[in-house]
Amino acid sequence: MDKNLNTSSKRKLNCSDESKCFELLESILDGEETTGSREILDEKLAKCQPCFEHYHLEKVIREVLKNKCTKHMVPAELADTIRQKIQEIK
Amino acid sequence: MSEVQRKKYTDKEKNSIFDHEFMPHIDSMYNFAYRLTFDEDDAKDLVQDTYLKAYRFINSFEQGTNAKAWLFRILKNSFINEYRKKSKQPSKVDYQEVETYYNSDNVDYNMTSDLRVDAVKDMLGDEISNALNSLAVDFRTVIILCDLEGFTYEEMAKILDIPIGTVRSRLHRARNLLKDKLRSYAENMGYDTDEE
Repeated sequence: MDKNLNTSSKRKLNCSDESKCFELLESILDGEETTGSREILDEKLAKCQPCFEHYHLEKVIREVLKNKCTKHMVPAELADTIRQKIQEIK
Repeated sequence: MSEVQRKKYTDKEKNSIFDHEFMPHIDSMYNFAYRLTFDEDDAKDLVQDTYLKAYRFINSFEQGTNAKAWLFRILKNSFINEYRKKSKQPSKVDYQEVETYYNSDNVDYNMTSDLRVDAVKDMLGDEISNALNSLAVDFRTVIILCDLEGFTYEEMAKILDIPIGTVRSRLHRARNLLKDKLRSYAENMGYDTDEE
């Protein structure tokens, strides 16, 4: 099977229904679409350049948000303070 | 509170729920609180208040249901009711105004298409964080809930008390605004965003 996903030669350069396609792609990335999403995705990415680009940009943005966003460490004493306050209101 | 008469938990059950279902989420809660308030002390107070409320109303929590979503909803409401007023932030962008602007018919799906995948990949955590933090609170919130915390649209709808359709559209707009910010970072980093 031709898995030529990284070249744009076979993809159409304009998407006839961008709004709907992009909304679908975003739902798939958010894990909201499960029925047949893999097939729909494969087809869109193989055939449509704007969908291909949108998908990969949205995907990488989700990845950097999830993996790179600075985490703020919980102050060490916070959990103890909370437990102490709970004891007081019991 | 629910009209359904729930059974009351014993003290032992309360402690068990609190320790095993509530406390494990303290890291996520603190991160959320910090990203809402941008202040360490406010974030601590907000998390503490949330846990105290959670304990006080523990009988309205159904054991085995999604404790994290339940806690996030309390935190979000506490923030809106108590902290937003006294926030040290300068006046926030009025959400309605932003919503109206982005609700105009031509939500432009192409406006950030010149942002490159490689440029985003190369960004530092602080740059991503700053871009996220610069968004108006309602947009920031949906991105935190979805991308940082992994809530589903349905859970987000419950946490935020808005319909799922609104979650979807707000998330889409939030990401477009974020892409705008990232694009200006990319330009500053010297990435040429206009050409291949």
